[in-house]
Amino acid sequence: MKLTLSSVYRPHSFPKLLNCSSFGILGRPFCSSALSSSPTCVKPQVPLFLRPPIYSTKLCDLKKWHDWAKGVSLSIGSTFVQSDNGADSNMLCRELKWLMEDAVEDHSLGMEDDDRVKMRIDIEELYCLWTQRVQERRPFQYVVGCEHWRDLVLSVQEGVLIPRPETELVVDFVSDVVSENEDLRSGVWADLGTGSGALAIGICGVLGSEGGRVIATDLSPVAVAVATYNVQRYCLQDKIDLREGSWFEPLKDMEGKLAGLVSNPPYIPSEDISGLQAEVGRHEPRLALDGGIEGMDALHHLCVGAALMLKPGGFFAFETNGEQQCCALVDYIKSRSGRSFCNLEIRADFAGIQRFVIGFHQ
Amino acid sequence: MTCLLRKSLRTKALSPFLHKLVGNSSESHHTLASTCWFWCHQSSHSLPQKTNPCFSSNSIPSSRFSNALLQIRFWVSEAAATEPSTSDGLTVQKILANNWNILDENDGDWKSHAAAVAQSINLIKRRLQWEKLKVRLDMLSFQLGKEDLWDDPVRAGKISREHGSLLGKMKEVNALEQELLEHIDMIKLAREENDADLESESLKVLLNMRRDAKEKELEALLAGEQDSCSCYIEVQAGAGGTESMDWASMVMQMYKSWAQRRGYKVTLMDEMPGEIAGIKRATIKVDGEFAFGYVKAEIGVHRLVRISPFDSNKRRHTSFAAVAVIPILGDGSTHVQINESDLRIERFRAGGPGGQHANTTDSAVRIVHIPTGVTATCQNERSQHQNKASAMAVLQSRLDQLEMARQAKFNAQHTESLTDITWGSQIRSYVLHPYRMVKDLRTNYEVSDPDSVLEGDLDGFILSYLSASLDKEDDA
Ligand SMILES: C[S@@+](CC[C@H](N)C(=O)[O-])C[C@H]1O[C@@H](n2cnc3c(N)ncnc32)[C@H](O)[C@@H]1O
Repeated sequence: MKLTLSSVYRPHSFPKLLNCSSFGILGRPFCSSALSSSPTCVKPQVPLFLRPPIYSTKLCDLKKWHDWAKGVSLSIGSTFVQSDNGADSNMLCRELKWLMEDAVEDHSLGMEDDDRVKMRIDIEELYCLWTQRVQERRPFQYVVGCEHWRDLVLSVQEGVLIPRPETELVVDFVSDVVSENEDLRSGVWADLGTGSGALAIGICGVLGSEGGRVIATDLSPVAVAVATYNVQRYCLQDKIDLREGSWFEPLKDMEGKLAGLVSNPPYIPSEDISGLQAEVGRHEPRLALDGGIEGMDALHHLCVGAALMLKPGGFFAFETNGEQQCCALVDYIKSRSGRSFCNLEIRADFAGIQRFVIGFHQ
Repeated sequence: MTCLLRKSLRTKALSPFLHKLVGNSSESHHTLASTCWFWCHQSSHSLPQKTNPCFSSNSIPSSRFSNALLQIRFWVSEAAATEPSTSDGLTVQKILANNWNILDENDGDWKSHAAAVAQSINLIKRRLQWEKLKVRLDMLSFQLGKEDLWDDPVRAGKISREHGSLLGKMKEVNALEQELLEHIDMIKLAREENDADLESESLKVLLNMRRDAKEKELEALLAGEQDSCSCYIEVQAGAGGTESMDWASMVMQMYKSWAQRRGYKVTLMDEMPGEIAGIKRATIKVDGEFAFGYVKAEIGVHRLVRISPFDSNKRRHTSFAAVAVIPILGDGSTHVQINESDLRIERFRAGGPGGQHANTTDSAVRIVHIPTGVTATCQNERSQHQNKASAMAVLQSRLDQLEMARQAKFNAQHTESLTDITWGSQIRSYVLHPYRMVKDLRTNYEVSDPDSVLEGDLDGFILSYLSASLDKEDDA
């Protein structure tokens, strides 16, 4: 296969891909009847960097691929930035470097052009992957099958939301809270809509080996499968309990018992979905993004449930779409269950956007 | 009698091994000091006064301790006071004064070897700033002997560490000197006794010493307190747009290659690319022993003269790039305490609502230390968390460096940050046109093959600068 630059870079003739995930349950995100359906056994994919290095290629061929891919990336300039805030050439080049890191087994210096390099993927496949990245705007993290998040490397694949850098801060909040409260550290925590399992695994880390357990739920079987894979990779099967189901549904046994509750639920208003950055709108699961008309369906549901599930003194943290949702959520909590919660706070992410609502159960 | 002497001297031939032991013993002295401190410290809290009616709980351990120190101190000054000599009164200084011919290693007689070793010893002493070292060591020993030393444990630890390290250096040189003289004795003896075996054996030992001492000369170039640290290298393009940015990236590439050749681990921390080519500014981390010791020789402005590849009229251009180097202090050193609340952490992003809306692999983080305005950026890690951790590490080193500069304990010119380096302080000039040459303006060291230099062949420049800056100080 030989791809030329011109055959790859045709930004204006990209086919409009439709998102292929099913949105059946979206209209009714809290409907648990959709659950009983598929006990589909989803097989999680192994991230590129963990695959065995069973391929090999001549160094000069690898270089050729690299030069080609770099050319493609450079030709993008700021096209994606202008169209939908996507990646620019610099970012693509950095991703290219990471793809090399993940794909090539030995990075030893001083190799000659004819030496063979051990690889975790066939070189032809690399051409396809980079074409997908640039032409189809497939997210880099799906291309390599993983996302580096906090100090973790999490497996991700189509059907599971790629954890965002903003969400890392939720783990810091939990870390702060448990550092001065042994009771919360040793209690049971819940991560609702766990996706790849990022928050659950991150929180498990800050609770420490002496700390409590985490229950993680998700409605999506793919998410549960991928999260299970990630939990196993970090050997946390004994600490993290994965449950498939809608929000609090699988947590009936925990009423009034949770030490903490965190969630990064879908919060994008439905009407914004069509205008999303291509990597997000075309490739990530709508179930993970669409939060209903105002984007707050799940957030409202979670606040109501939190009052019921948290034990006295329990902590919660929710991620939102920004300042507007944060304020609206605080108002909602105050008006609906004003006396159930205290120390409500809005926290900003590192970009300065008010992103999180945190607080304690009375 | 020959036999006896011979035997005792043979034992001395083991000295490289003994050397190690001596080195170790200074180490263990240092550990002893700190363990002892813990013990003192705890006992002063836990021992009730009455268990020991004769002394206050404080004074027992520390006085015992200072006794030990007094002995060490005594030993040191004694060693320093009597100049070692051979049985017929030859000393290193006298050997030097004799001006014996130094021949090639292979056809050298004993005098030639001895003179070479003596010269090395002399150079090493000069590089270690011998007289200052002795004064400093005395001062530290005095501090260590003080009763109230352990009131400030951090300072005490520092003093004890430095003492241990200086003492180690001093003993090493003294041992070298001693050994040289003993072998001279041995050779003279062998000649008197017509013992050819012994003579050739001793000659061999002398030759080995000669090589060994040559290596130690180099080590002595890197005897500064921070020299053994890893470091960050920062390169910033001067005025002149793309041409300078291209030059800055060439300079950075030169250091990456140099470091890799030396077996250091190189990590890119942060890079601000130029619009068309090159870099505006970049930071790399160079991991490994003595990275800072070498690279500190590169601090300053590097100038390039060439026909610019970016000029369609093919004119000659002069560009500048500034280089700053920050040592990464080891765990043993005292770091500046950073308060979380003094930090502002920022993330660059292209606007937009962020969160679930955006998928980006860019998680660059910038940390601002509000009280000092010092900042650090990292963008090269694959997660925001890791970028933050790396940026914190850079910030820590910057603040440590600032503090060292403030305390002025440190050769001032090695503490300059990029902003302090004035564009006037050129250290080296790289000319590609109309002739080809790289010349260091501080040492006049020059090379006529700029390509090899740009490919990382910097050792000649670095070593000549280090020796020039140490050897000119005339205090040995
Ligand atoms: C924005 S993603 C967050 C994923 C992950 N916690 C993270 O931060 O990367 C929202 C997650 O909620 C899940 N979800 C959507 N509706 C749900 C429901 N009714 N019950 C449970 N989980 C749901 C989605 O499958 C998705 O994994």
